Amino acid sequence: MTQFLFYFLSFVAVSAGLMVITAKNPVHSVLYLIIAFFAIAGHYILLNAQFLAIVHIIVYAGAIMVLFLSVIMLLNLNKDNEPAKSNVLKLAAVVAAGLLLVTFSGTLKGTESIIASQPFDDQIGYVKALGKVLFNDFLLPFEVSALLLLSAIIGAVVLVKHDLK
Amino acid sequence: MNALLVLSIAGLAALFSGFSHNKKLAVIVSLLGLAVAFTVNVLDWNTAVRYYNDMIFVDNYAIAFTGVMALTMLLIVALFVDYKESVEVPNAEIFALLFFSLAGGVMLVSYSNLLMLFLGIEILSIPLYILAGSKRHTLTSNEAAIKYFLLGAFASAFLLFGIVLIYGVTASFHIETIAAYIKNANGQPPALLVAGMFMLIGGLGFKISAAPFHFWTPDVYQGSPTIVTTFMSTVVKTAGIAAFYRLFAYAFPAITAEWIPTISVLAALTMTVGNVTAVFQSSVKRMLAYSGIAHAGYLLIAFVSISSNPASSVLYYLIAYAVSTVCAFAVLMVIQHTTGSEEVDGFKGLSKRSPFLAFITTVAFISLAGIPPTAGFFAKFYLFSGAVKAGHLWLTIIAVLNSCIAIYYYFRVITAVYSEGTDSTPVELGTVQKAVMIITAVLAVALGLFPEMIISLL
Repeated sequence: MTQFLFYFLSFVAVSAGLMVITAKNPVHSVLYLIIAFFAIAGHYILLNAQFLAIVHIIVYAGAIMVLFLSVIMLLNLNKDNEPAKSNVLKLAAVVAAGLLLVTFSGTLKGTESIIASQPFDDQIGYVKALGKVLFNDFLLPFEVSALLLLSAIIGAVVLVKHDLK
Repeated sequence: MNALLVLSIAGLAALFSGFSHNKKLAVIVSLLGLAVAFTVNVLDWNTAVRYYNDMIFVDNYAIAFTGVMALTMLLIVALFVDYKESVEVPNAEIFALLFFSLAGGVMLVSYSNLLMLFLGIEILSIPLYILAGSKRHTLTSNEAAIKYFLLGAFASAFLLFGIVLIYGVTASFHIETIAAYIKNANGQPPALLVAGMFMLIGGLGFKISAAPFHFWTPDVYQGSPTIVTTFMSTVVKTAGIAAFYRLFAYAFPAITAEWIPTISVLAALTMTVGNVTAVFQSSVKRMLAYSGIAHAGYLLIAFVSISSNPASSVLYYLIAYAVSTVCAFAVLMVIQHTTGSEEVDGFKGLSKRSPFLAFITTVAFISLAGIPPTAGFFAKFYLFSGAVKAGHLWLTIIAVLNSCIAIYYYFRVITAVYSEGTDSTPVELGTVQKAVMIITAVLAVALGLFPEMIISLL
């Protein structure tokens, strides 16, 4: 059952991902991206990461995709007027991405022993476990993220505010 | 750690000083904050404390690089007093963003957990994306911001992917645990870890603008306000190189055979691309951007001799590069303001208009070119001799050839300074501006005369 689900979700994710880049209409691309995100959220559940799956759906499929769609509609981009790339560029991109694929497929060799060496913990995906790790082991990264968010807020204000001085 | 706290608080203080009607308050608060940060940082010397479950490890390496970055930013903030280019964002916000960026830089030089490396890079970069676009109604500035942001996000993805692959193998983000894992595997870790390491090289190579990840650098450096460019090419470069070096010195010293060939090709490519392209530039700002790429290439040479601990040569090189660059940009700001251009021709006749400025320009560019008795020469000397001792003669030969090319384009500016110009109105300099120029020029010479002061630190 799990294996069947894994292959099904992978198939959905990969084919939706391909549709994202081949669809001519930007709105269709975004909708395919949402399907891909749901398939990946399914993978998270299979990996025992329930909290991550929900956050993934809420943040990516929910918030960010709505933002994408509204930007596309505001800028009136929903026409298939994507400028065509030159064939040389396409070939270069295919070769580069293909080499990356070959490299990563090659590096998967010998990873079975790594998986076997890690103990399985069925509690790891829950919010309680996550909160304990976040506020004990990873307290400093959690706190310093505040600087990141504050900079982003300052940036949003100074870049769009009409009359600054 | 204390420096990180002081910098975060000082950033907030600078931000709130914008409420005051006194325009100078933000500068004073910032200078004070940096001085305090530098002091508390230096007080930790020789303590080597691990903070928060070993998220950051403040050893002498971290303290030395934090000190360099804080002092460099101090000079840059001082330049703001007489800065005339129109930046449409108030000083208070600019300083707050610079402080947050510097806090990210401090994390980058003191991290001992890959999570802190990633967060440090983001905290360093996000304020910079904003600062690059702070000339809001100038097209080139907008271009710089969006280009830097998109390519920076792309590079962060590579970095993150690399971290994930390494975590997948070692089940740890901690750099010393990763090193122990590699050692246990007798220097033969799974290929997945090596792939992750190469992704990290890509992500960090982008930050230090190593070729072939350098394409963003000239446009971003040219489009940003000059004072932001100064910050990018000194403090940000210091943080990037120090983080890169720390990663390889702490996490991957046991598999040098895997990465030394890649890094040496990267170094050779970076300095050649940087120097050869810089020759063809007519804009001094763009030329300094390419020269920054070339200097990143020289710095990568240090990595091949990592087993003999060249950290102090890296530190010395970065200090020499920072003081010369701040000095060169300070002059460029004056030229930009008085002639309205950043071309080499704008420097023509400078020796008549202001002999003082002409002398400062000469010192700065001689130090960048690496000619004795300035610091630039000894910086190159220590790096190159380290590479020769490690048996990388070919890399050193390429580096020396590149230094010769570099002399050509640096001297183009110096000859322009001493040639006849059309304009002969004397140049007015602000007091603080003048002081910064004198300090950096004196440092560039003094560090060249007494290199042991820095070399003996680490």
